[in-house]
Amino acid sequence: MATIEQTAAGSTPATTGDDHAAGAHDPHATSTGVTHTKLAMWIFLASDCLFFGAFISAYMLYRGRNVGSGPTQRDLFDIPFTSATSFILLMSSLTMVLALAAIQRGDHRRVRIWLLATALLGATFIGGQVFEFTEFTREGLHVDTSLFGSTFFLLTGFHGAHVTIGIIWLLSLWGMSSRGRLPQAKAESVEIAGLYWHFVDVVWIVIFTIIYLVPQPGS
Amino acid sequence: MSEGTLERAEEDLRAVEHGEFGHAMEPAPGLLPGELRPHPSPFKYVVIAVVLCVVTAAEVAVSYLEGDIPDGLIITLLMIMAIMKFWTVAAWYMHLQTDKPIFRRFFVLGIVAAVILYTIVLATFHVFA
Repeated sequence: MATIEQTAAGSTPATTGDDHAAGAHDPHATSTGVTHTKLAMWIFLASDCLFFGAFISAYMLYRGRNVGSGPTQRDLFDIPFTSATSFILLMSSLTMVLALAAIQRGDHRRVRIWLLATALLGATFIGGQVFEFTEFTREGLHVDTSLFGSTFFLLTGFHGAHVTIGIIWLLSLWGMSSRGRLPQAKAESVEIAGLYWHFVDVVWIVIFTIIYLVPQPGS
Repeated sequence: MSEGTLERAEEDLRAVEHGEFGHAMEPAPGLLPGELRPHPSPFKYVVIAVVLCVVTAAEVAVSYLEGDIPDGLIITLLMIMAIMKFWTVAAWYMHLQTDKPIFRRFFVLGIVAAVILYTIVLATFHVFA
């Protein structure tokens, strides 16, 4: 009866009376044919587009309408340096997909190598961002100095927080793999972490272009 | 639970077991749930990374262009290259190209909603004027 009630409620169908027996049912069956976790991650990423869109729009809105004192973009930006950190983040997307390809092959040694490489590249990017923030602060730009300072630190800081969360996530997967708790059957865990990581990368592609590369008004 | 509900539930159960809903969760061998086609090979991933690096270098080079080149042209070129990079990562590294379309629909919905919403906001404040 319990089995039938579960099915009627739309939950996982079972084939035997013992719901906990190994292989008794598919624990991931859904009405959409895709797993809830992966679908939830995509919906989260879609909603995050609106979140980042708000910060990017705020930056664009106040671009060239600087209110307040302090240095401006032209005084501060070091394009070669930021290009190098952007390149590092882009390469971390490559190591991330290589980690996924490795776990799909069941090559756990390479999974750990690529996960660690991705986390290290992400940490290098964050290190670059911390260096950049420190330099800007030394030059006199703080979050409350001007509209440019507020919108710049908010947008890039919010992105940096995403990268930091991603690094923690990757390191936890690396730790699980090191203890043998990330079998090939859990490849989707790596894929979902990868989706988040690539999203952080694509958002930076937009931020890098709009903030750093697009010519400033009056330049 | 009524007798009729029980019977319907049992029919549903049999249908699910036989994959009759068309939403069978079991992917083909070697595929993850939600995949339609196999992911690209590691070699292809590296080739994509090289393409991304070349486009990024081109972007930075364009941002250094000087002379009589109008800003509008530079901005257009930069935005085209950024969109190319964005879509390349989303399609191949995030596997939108090989996964079921439901993921693409949700993601595109988020992007389109964001673009429409913030274009209206920025236009209201005459940012594009």
